[in-house]
Amino acid sequence: MRWSSGSVRRAARALALVALAAPAGADMAYVTCQSGDALSVIDLVALTEVARWPLPGKPAGVAVAGGAVYTVAADTKTVRRHAPSGALLAETVLDGGPIGIAVDAARGRVFVSDWYEARVRVLDAATLAPLTDLATGAAPAGLDLSPDGRLLAAAERDADRVSVFDATTLAPLWRAPVGTRPFGLRFAPDGRLFVANVGSDDMTVLGAETGAPLATIRVGARPYGVGFAAGRAFVTNQYAETVSVIALDTLSPVATLDVGEYPEGVDSTGEGHIAVANWFSNTLSVIDGQTLETLAAIETCDGPRAFGAFIARDQ
Amino acid sequence: MKRRTLMLAGAVMLLPGLALAHGPTRQKVTVTTEVAAEPADVWAAIGDFQDMSWHPAVHASTGENGNAIDATRRLVLGGEGGPTIDEELYKYDADKMTYSYRITEVDVAVLPVTNYSAHLTVKPRDGGGSIVEWRGAFYRGYPNNDPPAELNDEAAIAAVTGVYQAGMDALVERFGAPGS
Repeated sequence: MRWSSGSVRRAARALALVALAAPAGADMAYVTCQSGDALSVIDLVALTEVARWPLPGKPAGVAVAGGAVYTVAADTKTVRRHAPSGALLAETVLDGGPIGIAVDAARGRVFVSDWYEARVRVLDAATLAPLTDLATGAAPAGLDLSPDGRLLAAAERDADRVSVFDATTLAPLWRAPVGTRPFGLRFAPDGRLFVANVGSDDMTVLGAETGAPLATIRVGARPYGVGFAAGRAFVTNQYAETVSVIALDTLSPVATLDVGEYPEGVDSTGEGHIAVANWFSNTLSVIDGQTLETLAAIETCDGPRAFGAFIARDQ
Repeated sequence: MKRRTLMLAGAVMLLPGLALAHGPTRQKVTVTTEVAAEPADVWAAIGDFQDMSWHPAVHASTGENGNAIDATRRLVLGGEGGPTIDEELYKYDADKMTYSYRITEVDVAVLPVTNYSAHLTVKPRDGGGSIVEWRGAFYRGYPNNDPPAELNDEAAIAAVTGVYQAGMDALVERFGAPGS
């Protein structure tokens, strides 16, 4: 494991500046801000920012799991594990181009996609020590673990393909062609895999067991991410500045919602709301998944990406 | 200079999707200015996707499909036979006085960016006159790790900011600053 003691010290100093700790008892969004070198902690019940952590290195990837917040800073190639209060628990500096992240809390593993080296790094979830690598197609980006924890999926952006691995044995299970330039992906609550294709303005739906193609759904311009709430998929369309809402039972469009500029990261709350990070607007849109009403646009740090599962749901 | 050319050629061979590939961090630039003329007059000057003659760096513009979505234009910079930028319109709203476009083809030696998109908007200013806003989102010109200085994030931001500022300065010169 490569520790950077200098950056640990810097982070420790930075943490001394954090004034507010996240209160317990509410769904919380942990929004990585790439331009602003920061992370906004947003209370999704009170609909307000409650803390802002300094987070150097142009952070984009984020995953909340196992009572911790994991972040990936793209420029400095730093992966960090934080307590919900903001305290830095572990940190490691990787080579290549780390970007996306998913956490298997049950098996104590963290997966980090390496944009430049065509692999997924497997790290120890507690210490972040590298354990092994999984070979992928070119430019792996979005990662997700299936709801039952059995499968790990990687969007291989420059291979126009998705790879799925056995999360227990880490063996490759299947590969499937998708649309052009898949970036974000996520398993639906029913287990199907939804893949947003930035280059072809559509979403590919795959069966999780074998990668069988189930549907291709037209969405808006430059779809980046997908989240699920109230029996619907919500796809962020970066150029269109909209969210496409798709019914999960029929896979037909329900609505197109206006959000802020360059919507990217998207995730759901425990009460069936959808939160969308608007990279250019510096806001987090919170949308009622049922009524599709926008409940708030909450100010964040500069350049929110929130690329990953960025919401901690109150149990 | 020669060595850099070789390095870039090597990168092309290693990365089949070079035109699609990009660096790790998307950048954003917003430049705004205030002018004395009313929004409708400013929009009349800059709101036609096929006419960039208001910008001092643009020598000529040719294109197809007017202001329809997916309309294209080729900007010739500097003078006759100068470098070109190919662009495509993806949003156009005359009522809101805004349009959005992306670059489909440019040499990074001309503008050191990839995956570039931008909005140009005219808004009313409190107290009269207009606010013109130009916002761009893009990645640096060098898609792989360890970019040379002229193709890094800072170079991309400086180049786009320079283009926007030159356009805004020309509008202030043409329409005057408010209250002046």
